[in-house]
Parts: sequence; structure tokens; C-alpha cells
Amino acid sequence: MTFAVYLPAVLSLLLVAVSKAAARHTSPAAVARGLTLAAAGAAAAYTFCLGLLALTLLDDLPPLAAFDRVPGLPKPVPGPIALVAAALVAWGALRLFRDVRTRRDTYRRLRKAGAPGPAGLVVADWEAPHAVAVPGRPGHVLITTGLLRGLDGREREVVLAHEHAHLRHGHHRLIALAAGAAAVNPLLVPLREAVAHHCERWADEEAVRRVGDRGLVARCVAKAALATRPVLALGGSSVVGRVRALRSPEPSGRWTRLAGPAAILVVIAAVTATAAVEFAAVAVAWLNVV
Amino acid sequence: MAVTAGAGRRPHGSLEAEVLATLAAASEPMSASDVQRALPHDLAYNTVQTILIRLLEKDAVQRRPEGRGHVYWLRHTEAAEAARTMRSTLVGRPDRAAVLQQFAAGLDDADAEVLRALLAEPESP
Repeated sequence: MTFAVYLPAVLSLLLVAVSKAAARHTSPAAVARGLTLAAAGAAAAYTFCLGLLALTLLDDLPPLAAFDRVPGLPKPVPGPIALVAAALVAWGALRLFRDVRTRRDTYRRLRKAGAPGPAGLVVADWEAPHAVAVPGRPGHVLITTGLLRGLDGREREVVLAHEHAHLRHGHHRLIALAAGAAAVNPLLVPLREAVAHHCERWADEEAVRRVGDRGLVARCVAKAALATRPVLALGGSSVVGRVRALRSPEPSGRWTRLAGPAAILVVIAAVTATAAVEFAAVAVAWLNVV
Repeated sequence: MAVTAGAGRRPHGSLEAEVLATLAAASEPMSASDVQRALPHDLAYNTVQTILIRLLEKDAVQRRPEGRGHVYWLRHTEAAEAARTMRSTLVGRPDRAAVLQQFAAGLDDADAEVLRALLAEPESP
């Protein structure tokens, strides 16, 4: 086996770097979808290649270890590398399991917060300012009186339009997929953050389409964020980025802007296929001897 | 920008949600004309009245007679129950809060400064 099997990990870093540049001036919907796809592909390739490395441990099992010294047999990879690969796969699986469980558990609990009428809205009488899109069939918006009281009528319309956009476009699926990818391959954590941020941007742009006023949406996001602190110190810089973007014209760049990440994804697929072919050759040579 | 509020498409049920949100934000029960004034749209009184009746039929709001009409408010038991569920789910559990799409998560001091400065600037063309 050659270096191909190690490349998906290295290329994940390149993918992250290139995606950052590609996201600029591109429509948030295209970025969110494109980067989710890229993250999922890169995570799958990374895990597959680690799996191949881990499988080479099989030659150290008692029945096969005897053949380890047969001349002419291709040597797979050094034992310690295979062990590290196996540990990384196990660690990734554990992180993925935890992420899926937390996500499910949180949404299941919040779904119990109330039966939404056809208005699709559940109000919680709580002074902490929160607005959350709770996915489901059909999903609803959960919002606290603490947030509603701090806003005027037009701003309330912005928040509702923003949250309904999350539900309508199934943003929770994109975010869960990107988070799953980052769980198995921690090098992709920046892509998870980028997908989450661009889903927020996407919902902001949908809110603009509803109320027809970018400045209003910008002020509303800023106002709600300033009111929220210091309840949850999460994603602050993301809010600043959203307000900045709302104070500039709507980005119109489409899919073509994502050519960079797409090209890297193709390379990742190619090296993964190469690694698989090389692994198969080693496995066949071994099986012939056995 | 001289664009009227509500210029865009308005999905089904969103007016009901807005009326409910308006009642939830109020500290006092509201009459239909109070709600009409608080909404950013140019809605007819009868439209607001119809929405309120619909919310009443769905047990989302309560009302009592006052003056020549009724005043409406959000059903408190449900809202308190929702708050209890939300609190028990999120308080002290940053891992759960992290998986949610929050409209506006909190800021640190530096970000808050940047945001205030940004709001003070005139809008870019």
C-alpha cells in the first residue's frame, strides 16, 4: 500500500482552507448545501481509508501471523500505524454516536414543550431570550416571551420568518450531516461551523425576502444577540458575520463558485479508490498464500 | 428603504403565529384593535378578529368580555409548561444548546462591541 491511503486526511485540511474562500460572495443556500456534501464525502473517504489501514492488523492475528515472514508477500503498513487508525475509527464512531444521541434527545425533549397549532408556534413563558426551530412533522417554532417582549411587531415578523425558513428548508438535516462528518473526522470541524453559519445566513436572507428590508433584519439579529448575552456564549462571531452580510448587498454567486471544494472532493474520491485497489491487491496476494 | 412590511410572500398560518406572538409579548390582555395596531401589516379589523377567533377555537388563547368586545391573552398554563420543558432541556446543558439553531446566540464582550459599532455606522450602499 502506498501513500494514497493517507491522502484523504491531508486533503480534508485543504478542503477546509479552500471552502473558506469559496464561501465568500456565494449565496448562503449554495454554500450550506455544497459544504455539507463536501464534508460528508470527505468524512466517508477518511473513515474508509482508516478502515483499510485498521484491517491490515488482521495479518497479526495468530492464524495469519505465521505467514508474516513468507518472502515475496507485499508488506501492508507498520503495525503501530494500523493500531492508530483503528483507534481513530473507534474514537470517531463514539463521537458520532454521542452527537446523534444529543441531537435526537434535545429535539425529542423540545417537541414535548407543547402541541403547536396550525400556527406552528409554541410560546414559552421564560425571560431568557430564545427562538428555536424544532424539526418534526411538520415541525414548529419554539420562542420565549423574553425574546418576544424585546422586539416590536416588524422584528417579531423577522424572527418568525427566519425560524420558518429553517423548518421549510430542512436546515437541521444539513447541520446534522455536517456535524456527523466533523464527529468522525475532527479535521472537518470548521466545515460544520461553516454549514451552521450559512444556514443562519440563508434563513436571514429568507427573512429579508419576507419583510423586504435588509437593514431591519440586520438590526433585529443584532438586537436579539445583544439581548441574549451572556446567557449562552455561543456563536458570537457568527452573529457579527451575519449582521455584516446583511448590511451588504445579497451575495449572488451560485454553484460555480464552489468549483474549488468540488475539485478537491473529486481528488479525494480518486485517491480513496486508488487506496481501495491497492488494498485489494495486498489482500489477494495474502489470500493466495493462505 | 421604502418597502412596506409584509411585501414578500406570506406562508399559510404565519399571520396566526404573528398574532399569537403579539399576544405573548404583551403584558396586558389585548382587544382585537390593540392587536391590529401592534401588527406591522395593514390588516382589516375583521381579519384580525377572525384570526383571534380561530386561535380561541384551537385553545391557543383565552378571552373575556371587556367594553363592547373581548380582550384576548395567551393561555398561561401551556406557556408555563413549555418554559419548564425548555428550561429543563437547556439550562446547564451547553451540549444540547450547541446542537440547536438559535436565532441569536450570546456574544462575548469584544463581539458585542463590534456589533454596537456596526449598528452605529451608516448602512453601506
